[in-house]
Amino acid sequence: MKKTSSIEPKNLTAQLHYRGEGNPPSTHPSTAVSNCYPGLEMDFRNVWKHVFEGIELLEYSNLVIGVDPGANEKIQRLISTGIQYELISVDGIPMTAPVTGPFRHAPEMIHDTMALEWSNALAEVLPKAGQFVLCKFQNSNNLREIISMELKVCHFFDVDLNRNGKVVNQRVVIAREMASPGDLTQSLCSPWQNDYRECDCFYWAASRPDFVNVEPGKDGKSKGNNWMQKDRTGTADKKYISDAEDGVRGNPVLVSYQDLFAAWEENLRYIIAGKDVPLNNPLKKVKTGVKKKSK
Amino acid sequence: MLIPDGSRIYKIDKIIHQKLEELLSNNDQVGIDQWLVENDLQSLGQIDDNPVTDPPLTSISLAIAQKCNLGCSYCYAQEGGFGVKAKNMPLEKAIAAVDLLFAQNHTAHRMNIAFLGGEPLANREALQTVTRYARERADAELKKINFSITTNGTLLTMDDADFFEQYGFSVTVSLDGIGELHDRLRPYKSGKGSYERIIRNVEPLLAMQKNMQVSARVTVTPGNLHLKETLDELIRLGFHSVGFSPMLSSPGGNDEMDSVSLEKMLENMINCGQEFEKNLVAGKRYPFSNMSTALKEIHRGTHRPYPCGAGAGYLGVSASGELAACHRFVENREGYFGNLTEGIDRSIQQAWLTERHVHRQEPCKNCWARYLCGGGCHHEVINRGRPACDYIRGWLHYVLQAYTRILDRRPDFFYPEQ
Repeated sequence: MKKTSSIEPKNLTAQLHYRGEGNPPSTHPSTAVSNCYPGLEMDFRNVWKHVFEGIELLEYSNLVIGVDPGANEKIQRLISTGIQYELISVDGIPMTAPVTGPFRHAPEMIHDTMALEWSNALAEVLPKAGQFVLCKFQNSNNLREIISMELKVCHFFDVDLNRNGKVVNQRVVIAREMASPGDLTQSLCSPWQNDYRECDCFYWAASRPDFVNVEPGKDGKSKGNNWMQKDRTGTADKKYISDAEDGVRGNPVLVSYQDLFAAWEENLRYIIAGKDVPLNNPLKKVKTGVKKKSK
Repeated sequence: MLIPDGSRIYKIDKIIHQKLEELLSNNDQVGIDQWLVENDLQSLGQIDDNPVTDPPLTSISLAIAQKCNLGCSYCYAQEGGFGVKAKNMPLEKAIAAVDLLFAQNHTAHRMNIAFLGGEPLANREALQTVTRYARERADAELKKINFSITTNGTLLTMDDADFFEQYGFSVTVSLDGIGELHDRLRPYKSGKGSYERIIRNVEPLLAMQKNMQVSARVTVTPGNLHLKETLDELIRLGFHSVGFSPMLSSPGGNDEMDSVSLEKMLENMINCGQEFEKNLVAGKRYPFSNMSTALKEIHRGTHRPYPCGAGAGYLGVSASGELAACHRFVENREGYFGNLTEGIDRSIQQAWLTERHVHRQEPCKNCWARYLCGGGCHHEVINRGRPACDYIRGWLHYVLQAYTRILDRRPDFFYPEQ
């Protein structure tokens, strides 16, 4: 029979740090291994998909990707016509920001608009949980077409409501209407397969080399190699080649997904003193050039 | 059970209670640490020894008038002038102070300007001009700004009421009791009582408060310890909330609380708290602000290494344009923090935040209430020390118990309507 806990967290800090019996450390973001964007244990971005009653948003941009089957006609229109709509403002607060700057491999300045990250963009909106707020949606292909409608803000935390819809109690767990079971783990990093190779924010570079054999130039630029390239001799041209060069994943100069699935230990080896450990002598002592301090 | 680290509160059963009592009475620190780890309640390290660094400035007070028409014996401003020649803050200094606030606000999005003194309404024109200026800047820069004023109430007019209502001021009126009791402690400089005039002035504000909030602050001295009568009457009059503050340090030691008075005050505060609980359960509003503030902080699990934002997010500004750790340190070298021309002296600030961290205070670093209290008002501690620790612990002990009762019976108290 399951032992009932006789220690009950009461206030918010006690609740926040409480770990249910049997739950591992990874159930708390602060003691989980990784980030959560998307991360290894949970993809926090998925919390925002259902923040407005009736619609489903893409977790990493402001695109509307779904509507509740029972939603009214106006909401249904955000999907039913086949036109893509983006949520551009909530309660007068913009959900996008203009960006200007050089794009990857395109030296000219471009001017674009990017969706803001949800946690920050919605910080002023969340206190209006339970209320209707004015939302504006823009047609992705015809920026002049804007649809406005009032949508209800969902409660972020698990709450008890009285018959008038007023919050009478609240717990620090995320409400079911924001994230049903399975929602937070449906899109995680897959480190030993795809993400180790392709992580776009180079998170995984924190635990592996990225830009190697680097030669700084007089003009402030550097030359070097991508650690993922097949030629490990160090004699190849110092040119950083990435998948994004031609916009296609799988440049043949680089170690491929299949290479990693089949034999990652052979294709990407431990590094000691800045060199790949030889395949035949994985842990041979290598001179590091560091002198021992004399006593 | 309260775990100071993180101000965490738990309900425990009799078996655990007994176990903990045993460990505590044997002073078994190893046993306690082990028990905490076994139950996944170990230290979170929420507050370490490191001081806050480079805090954004979110709040300033302007000693907009360093003069006053009253002669309260315990006044930290020594009847308004801070011991130097009485003066008003020139408008350009007030504007410069607002500019400093905006410049140092950094990533914070909320700001507060408090008008203090002396009696701030003695320099009404500057007060109104700088309020308008600050609001215009905030609107233009998409920032939120709030205004507050602490006034003796004797100079309040209907124009002030309209102005405070328009700008949504938090107005605090200093009232130490009802009728003669107040008059004894807060007379005009002539010795004449001020209560009647204050109530006459404030009644229209109490009736019209929508955007503004008008609260009363009672300074408690050995001469005005019957708190409930004062609380009941001020609530009846219509004050949005009423709060009590013990007089712990006054220039010359006038009317300071001693241990006997503090014990009596604690008894009276608990009496008021019990009235608060009774009213809450009955669904009636009883705005005893010491209680409601403490309850909300406890519910949030507030845990702080300092008693307030003085010297960090909050600075006081004197009429001559000097910066101070807070409004009580105006014209006082001990709390000097720079000036409007040269800005915040960061080395003084860093030294202050290092030295005044609660881990460096005695006897705070071994006190269970240290992260709820934070070490006590800097001005009081520097001038007099810590005579009120038993009172603070006694009050917190009562409020912690009340919290568990209220959380069970009226949890909605913690979730007021937005």
